[in-house]
Amino acid sequence: MANVLGVSHASDMVVRSKAGMSDRTFSILLVAPALAVILVFAILPLVYALDVSFRFADLTRGGIREYVGLDNYRRVFSDSNFWTAGWITLKFTVVAVTLQMTLGVGIAFLLHGMTVGKGLVRSLIILPLATSAAVTGLFWRYLYDTQFGVLNWILGSFGLPEPNWLGDYTIALWSVVIFDVWQWTPFVALIALAGLQALPREPFEAAELDGASSWRVLRTLTFPLLKPVLFLVLVLRTIDCVRLYDAVAVLTRGGPGTSTETMTFYLYRTGLKLFRMDYASTMAIFFLYVMLVAAIFALTPLLKQFTDRAKEA
Amino acid sequence: MHEKRSLPLEVLRYGLIVLVIGFFVFPIFWMVLTSLKPDDAIMVSPPRFLFTPTLENYRHAIEDKNFLFYIRNTLIISVISTVFVVILGSLAAYSFARYNVGDGHLLFFILSTKMMPAIAVILPFFLIFREVGKTGFGQFMHLGLDQHGALILSYVVFNLPFAIWLLVSFFQDIPRELEHSARLDGLSRLKVLRKVTLPLAAPGIAVTAVFTLIFCWNEFLFAYILTRKTASTVTVGVESFFTLQGILWGPVAAAATIAVAPMLVFVLAMQRYMVRGLTFGAVRG
Repeated sequence: MANVLGVSHASDMVVRSKAGMSDRTFSILLVAPALAVILVFAILPLVYALDVSFRFADLTRGGIREYVGLDNYRRVFSDSNFWTAGWITLKFTVVAVTLQMTLGVGIAFLLHGMTVGKGLVRSLIILPLATSAAVTGLFWRYLYDTQFGVLNWILGSFGLPEPNWLGDYTIALWSVVIFDVWQWTPFVALIALAGLQALPREPFEAAELDGASSWRVLRTLTFPLLKPVLFLVLVLRTIDCVRLYDAVAVLTRGGPGTSTETMTFYLYRTGLKLFRMDYASTMAIFFLYVMLVAAIFALTPLLKQFTDRAKEA
Repeated sequence: MHEKRSLPLEVLRYGLIVLVIGFFVFPIFWMVLTSLKPDDAIMVSPPRFLFTPTLENYRHAIEDKNFLFYIRNTLIISVISTVFVVILGSLAAYSFARYNVGDGHLLFFILSTKMMPAIAVILPFFLIFREVGKTGFGQFMHLGLDQHGALILSYVVFNLPFAIWLLVSFFQDIPRELEHSARLDGLSRLKVLRKVTLPLAAPGIAVTAVFTLIFCWNEFLFAYILTRKTASTVTVGVESFFTLQGILWGPVAAAATIAVAPMLVFVLAMQRYMVRGLTFGAVRG
């Protein structure tokens, strides 16, 4: 546990040299232990994965072996499963995030206008957030059950069609979406609600005096003021949806067929079911590269907020 | 905002809210209800709402499946991970918030590791822990596969970026003037941090701890890949209810209820503070 040693070591040095130490040294000493942990245990595995991606590594046939150049990378481009998984991930992310954002913001507006019982409703809808996708997801299989599931019973009693939620390859992905919407819409709703409640009063009062229509107020005042918060939620939700694993693992295991096989699940299957560490690592690197490019676009504005505030203080 | 309140609109509003609550609460309600059902009320169509409640499913989960063993593992692993994350995270976040160390670039780097899908590094983690576990040091620190140390270390690494992100916004909210005057009184930087800043940041640190604890408690992928039996956590333990005879929904519901109950209670108690934490200071108030 290098991190433990790192902490005590750092604090020793701080105490010993408190007289003549510069701000710079102090700040570096504070950040060093955390940085060391992240560097060693997040970057080292990555370097390892990069190395394996240039080798032949079939764990069922002699483990990690000789370098094969760019062979694994060429395979990515010709592997239709990889692109299918990418397409499924994209579909899932776009639909799930759109639903979560619209429903979440809608619910926030509903709650914002409530006069009584707001706290109670907030307590109730926060519950899905606290549960583990791996645990409640498992139970959702019972809700989705075609024979004993309560969901189809409800639909049936309204005379609606009763789909085979997890068994029909045209529907299964959307069933996973519904589960994710159930778990994460409250997150969007709570943050949007907090944003609404923190809006300054003055511009709205002025707009009312001017007799602006509610639609105009919404479009020109409310949404622009909420934008930073909503952008933050959008980024966080997108990251999580692209990395989706737990819900797929417990609800469908990628099936039926490969109809719900997302990027991360295909990676898992290649590496830990088929034991092709080389190809799995290559896809991981590829995936990571795409994420990192996206990160630069997504995080820059958020980071600017941070540094601006650090400077103004 | 003063809105004109018309009765039909208010009825519509509360009607929609009831629907919303139903959607989000029903699955959890149904899970708890199923956990209390006798066998003959579970695999039936139509679903039954009235039955004689029984604790048989809980008995099965706890006695036959030894489910509390998973709870114990989860508790040990999440609590220790959280302690490390909070200590390392607070020191680093303070440095970012006060000294802007690395001029934004370092913070960006740390945040960008949050984008990393766990699955991308899980294979190297698996291979590395397999090797480390064979060494004397690895055995001493329980760092091998299916050992607590390996999971704790993984959770610390993967929760640190998020914790630092949260904590930076909390530290930025603490006025510098207090620290300045304490410095002028002759306190060292470390004493200022310990005696002035950390006590003021305590609520923010608590929120971060809550989040970290929830994430660790609910984590599935690392627990699934890195453990087999001795260090398995609740998320993996629930899977052991898949038997050759099919899924035993009653005991699954009981185990799932036990697994999520601590975090549900926790979140209810802390929700007011969590909302502030979730917005990373983007919302004041």
